[in-house]
Amino acid sequence: MSIPESHLAQEAIAALVDGELSGGAAGRAARHLAGCLQCRLAVSAQREAKAALQAPEDVAVPGDLMSRLRAIPFTAEMPSAGPPGSLGVGGAGLTGTGPRGAFSFPLAAPAAPASRPGQARWLRRSMTGALAGIGVGVAVLAVSLPSGDLPADDSPARVANAIRHTVPDDERTDIVPPVVRTVTVGSTASLPPGGTP
Amino acid sequence: MAPTWEQVVRDHSARVYRLAYRLSGNQQDAEDLTQETFVRVFRSLADFSPGTFEGWLHRITTNLFLDMVRRRQRIRFDALPEDTERLPGTSPSPEQVYTDTHLDPQVQAALDALSPEFRVAVVLCDIEGLTYEEIAATLGIKLGTVRSRIHRGRVQLREALAHLAPRRGAGAEAVTP
Repeated sequence: MSIPESHLAQEAIAALVDGELSGGAAGRAARHLAGCLQCRLAVSAQREAKAALQAPEDVAVPGDLMSRLRAIPFTAEMPSAGPPGSLGVGGAGLTGTGPRGAFSFPLAAPAAPASRPGQARWLRRSMTGALAGIGVGVAVLAVSLPSGDLPADDSPARVANAIRHTVPDDERTDIVPPVVRTVTVGSTASLPPGGTP
Repeated sequence: MAPTWEQVVRDHSARVYRLAYRLSGNQQDAEDLTQETFVRVFRSLADFSPGTFEGWLHRITTNLFLDMVRRRQRIRFDALPEDTERLPGTSPSPEQVYTDTHLDPQVQAALDALSPEFRVAVVLCDIEGLTYEEIAATLGIKLGTVRSRIHRGRVQLREALAHLAPRRGAGAEAVTP
């Protein structure tokens, strides 16, 4: 940091190039730049580097990678630290027991969610045909939800918690679609495609 | 209506793959990072909420990348190279980069020269177009740190570009109006 205080701070130079300075600060920077060649050069260097990265680029995703991504619902291994756990059906729901506790999944069609009613409609429709399949699918997904750590904030652990403490209807709806695909494609070909009315 | 998995993959794979490639600098790692990102997405679909999906993907991909870097640094440090063929030092040729991705190989080489922390900040800002605030949230760092990493990353990037192609520095303004 050899730039004396009278010049723009380096952070301010980057922020200026990115339009991240507040109005007042941007005005002061502009006034300083008008009389300071050194800072103008620093700004233009930042702009050059930024411009070098901004060629419009369309990346081709390798075809076999695309296939693998599409197949994730069928192939993804759900890491589990301990034994795979057990499944059982009882009452109105399906219960899974894993190393981290028991999970319970209601199998009845969900009541219309207050907030997002549209989302669950097709699910209920598919459920009449593939009730057990969905239940097992959800259970397998959730029972084996990872114990490994995800660096990102929204770790699967949080999801696992959400599932463990009785799944809210609309959340479960979000989980289910790929699983439904897994189940229905494989076993019951006569089912109508899950999505559209 | 919730999107199908097919839609999720179709709509987001190119973006995730580009980010992964720009961060890792080679096809194998980019594919691994992309696949792992989508596996995490699949496991956590309950968290899906439209509008935050891209930010979520960025966060997963960049954190997976930084994890990978740290893991390899540790492996090298412990002299237990179980994955030797893919440790840094085996970066692909410029021709290979272009064949793989159609991304500018010189830019990629310059990015590879940056330290991972600087690279992530610059890529998120200048390639992915995130705001400083979004980058701070994605990486869990302060706004001031974002500014400083972007600034220093760009300084290094420009030096690396000039080193790779001396003519480029002079022509940069003309090439990109």
